[in-house]
Amino acid sequence: MIEVDGLTVRFGGVTSLDHLSLTFEPGICGLIGPNGAGKTTFFNVLSGFVRPTAGSVRAFGEDLLSMAHFRRARWGVRRTFQTEQAIEELSVFDNVAMVHEHSGLGGASRRHDVLGAIGFAGLDADPSARAQTLAAGQRRLLEIARAVVGRPKLVLLDEPAAGLPDQETRHMGEVIRAIPGHVGALTILVDHDMSLVSACCTTTAVLDFGKLIASGPTAEVLRDSRVVRAYLGTAEVL
Amino acid sequence: MLDTASRSAGARQRAPLRTPAGRTLANAVASAVLLVIALVALPDLLSIYYIDAMTQVAVYAMVALGLGLLVGRVGLVSLGQVAVLAVGAWVAARLLFATAQPYPVVLLEAGLITMAAGTLIGLPALRLRGLYLALITLMLAGGITIVLTTTNFPNGGHGFLGYNGSLVHIPAIRRPAIAASDPGYYRYSVVVAALMFLLVIVHLKTRPGRAWAAIRQSEPAALAAGISTTRYKLWAFALASFITGVAGGVLAGAVQYLYSIDFPTQDSITLLAVVLMGGVYSLWGALVAALLLQLLPALLHNWGVSADWLTILFGIGVVQVLTTAPGGLADQVPKDLARLGRLLLGVAGRLRPGAPRGGGPP
Amino acid sequence: MPSWADFQPFIVSGLALGGVYALSGVGMVVLYQATGVVYLAFGAVGAMGALIAWSLINAGTPEWLAWLVCVLFGGGVTLAYGMVFGPPLARRDPLVKAVATLGLTLVLFGLMDLLWTTNGGQSRAITLPTDNGGFTVGQIQVTWTQVIGLAAGIAIVVVTEVFLRYTKPGTAMRAMANDREITATLGVPVRRVEAAAWFGCGVIAGAAGLLLADLVALDATTLTFLVISSLAAALIAQLRSIVLTFVAAIAIGLIHDLITPIQALSNYRDMTPFVLAAVALLVPARQQLLSQSREEA
Repeated sequence: MIEVDGLTVRFGGVTSLDHLSLTFEPGICGLIGPNGAGKTTFFNVLSGFVRPTAGSVRAFGEDLLSMAHFRRARWGVRRTFQTEQAIEELSVFDNVAMVHEHSGLGGASRRHDVLGAIGFAGLDADPSARAQTLAAGQRRLLEIARAVVGRPKLVLLDEPAAGLPDQETRHMGEVIRAIPGHVGALTILVDHDMSLVSACCTTTAVLDFGKLIASGPTAEVLRDSRVVRAYLGTAEVL
Repeated sequence: MLDTASRSAGARQRAPLRTPAGRTLANAVASAVLLVIALVALPDLLSIYYIDAMTQVAVYAMVALGLGLLVGRVGLVSLGQVAVLAVGAWVAARLLFATAQPYPVVLLEAGLITMAAGTLIGLPALRLRGLYLALITLMLAGGITIVLTTTNFPNGGHGFLGYNGSLVHIPAIRRPAIAASDPGYYRYSVVVAALMFLLVIVHLKTRPGRAWAAIRQSEPAALAAGISTTRYKLWAFALASFITGVAGGVLAGAVQYLYSIDFPTQDSITLLAVVLMGGVYSLWGALVAALLLQLLPALLHNWGVSADWLTILFGIGVVQVLTTAPGGLADQVPKDLARLGRLLLGVAGRLRPGAPRGGGPP
Repeated sequence: MPSWADFQPFIVSGLALGGVYALSGVGMVVLYQATGVVYLAFGAVGAMGALIAWSLINAGTPEWLAWLVCVLFGGGVTLAYGMVFGPPLARRDPLVKAVATLGLTLVLFGLMDLLWTTNGGQSRAITLPTDNGGFTVGQIQVTWTQVIGLAAGIAIVVVTEVFLRYTKPGTAMRAMANDREITATLGVPVRRVEAAAWFGCGVIAGAAGLLLADLVALDATTLTFLVISSLAAALIAQLRSIVLTFVAAIAIGLIHDLITPIQALSNYRDMTPFVLAAVALLVPARQQLLSQSREEA
């Protein structure tokens, strides 16, 4: 369980997150909102790239914010980025192995864990091939493999299927749905693709201008009029 | 998904050298051949003048290796590596005069002490952004050059500085017993250089190499993967300083008389230029850089052409590399050769009876 | 410990030198703000201009013409470099742009050594007519050249501040420093403003080269690497504040020269710019979070 309490982030004159308080239950939670709502900023706080102005985050009973950013990966936070960050000159295997070795896990199980993660993501490519040679869809799956290898506690997926055609997006959805069961991690999914969100996430939270405007079971949230208004930006309420 | 797998398998069959394993094998074979030529054939073929130049190539190959590591693998530009080389040479000279330790031990100590100094400076400096770091190292180079001009290199005197200003007959820095002659010392330096390259290769293939690749591509992604970027950058700094320190030690024995005029600030800039030209993404680039820096001037000098033309060439070269060919010569030349090879194979293929019309896949 | 009287002449020379460092530093800061390029070839350009002036004077050209050529040379070479290599590197990291100017430095350096070889005995000098006249302050002799040095530093600060704040091209430069792309979409003739920045910086380089050749020495290596002192001042000002550049430059010039009469430190005085810049940059524990991860929220 992740408990966020009063999280506020201010850059200069802009308030990216405004007293955000919500709880993430185990499973897959969606986090949606229009552009600029604060979703990536929230992920940045969780990964440690941004220090919040106020508020706290307790993850599985521990104070997440007091950990140095690179230690959080060892603790079990994994994250994918909007622009995928596969290390081009390394092989597929090394890309995943790198995450494994920096999570404080032993070398004995490395080969097994890495190949397992690659297989889990459904990445059909030669593990010794350079990441540079992979197609876009394969790279996205490589990101997933990196996110699930080892024993992560928290997996943050930031638009993991961006730019992918429908069929690959569906495949991605299947993989994501299997994460909690296979790896045991609490997964938070940020995306604009509502079909992916409804397919994967049991609960969803909605941000707008850094504030939480709705949260609850996904189907209900997506029908909520406030959410619709936030996305479509209708004129003032009569 | 399925056809990408078969495509890559097919590609593997057609172009064995393209696979990672194939490339490593090709590199290993080429290195072995060159090493044999360097150690066995060259000393008999070249005059002492060129033997000495090749010894300098060995020294600067190590320096270029260190700088290439910093620039190419970690993205840190140092404009002060020649100053680091001077420090290594200073330490080695001091130890060689003051103690009777065997050469390898002295080289190791020179490397370690230089590494300690490099790490100490690296620690606060790493907090600076790339541009500032580069500029600080430029000033560092200037600073150390000034200190050396005043303290001078050790010449057998006593005291911490080991410099005796009133010596009329300055003793030469000693060489190892097995490598006292110029050709002998040349072989010795080639072996040391080869060991340094091996040291870097071991690093690259294991954990630090992977971490450096991640850091160079994207620091946020590296941090998100749990890599302590500061620690690994420092490691690169330390390794580069160690290698450059050892190179300084080898240099001390090569020239046997050290003067501060041997390490001008300008040389650090020229070094960066040739390292960029040689190519920072491949270890071969370090060798190319050293050849540009030490062999070409020797050739030109022999032919009566001023070395200034090289300075101008390197100036043009570095701008060219930065604007068009970031991989440098080590990257471009194999690509050009490969293209040439494919062209030739394509022509040969079409000339074969019964060959399919139209070019095959690239 | 030397006496106050021993220090006095060095106060004057230090201020003059600092003034020229300020002149150079401001030139580099303005160019950096407008183009993102740290012009490391600044010293080399000035050095070559000074050498060209020297050759012209030796060949009988009237002095004022030779100086004009020097200054125009500075402007011309810098403008040419900026127009040819500015655009292809415009999107790259400032580090890459700075290293590229090192290429220009090497080319100029090689040319200078080729054309004006340093054979053992001959040393060249540039003397400006203002070297001869002067006045006395208390017991210190001050030449007009030294006054010009300091005055040039002060003048450039004033002129630049006025220029940046109140003129159209100046405002354009400030906008470009903030965001070049957006400024271009606003209809500002970005390329023309950039050209002006390059040319202006080059002209300053030529002038500074002439002054330093007079105040210090007419030697390619010395002049090329004196850029380090101005660079140090610019770095202390974080390549941003013009006034701070001036203050830092004066400090560097003063401290450098004032150390001269102190026996124990005298030999190390050329380390002044380095030490000051290192202290200014490394000591404040400024932890910068990654600017690369500025992804949209």
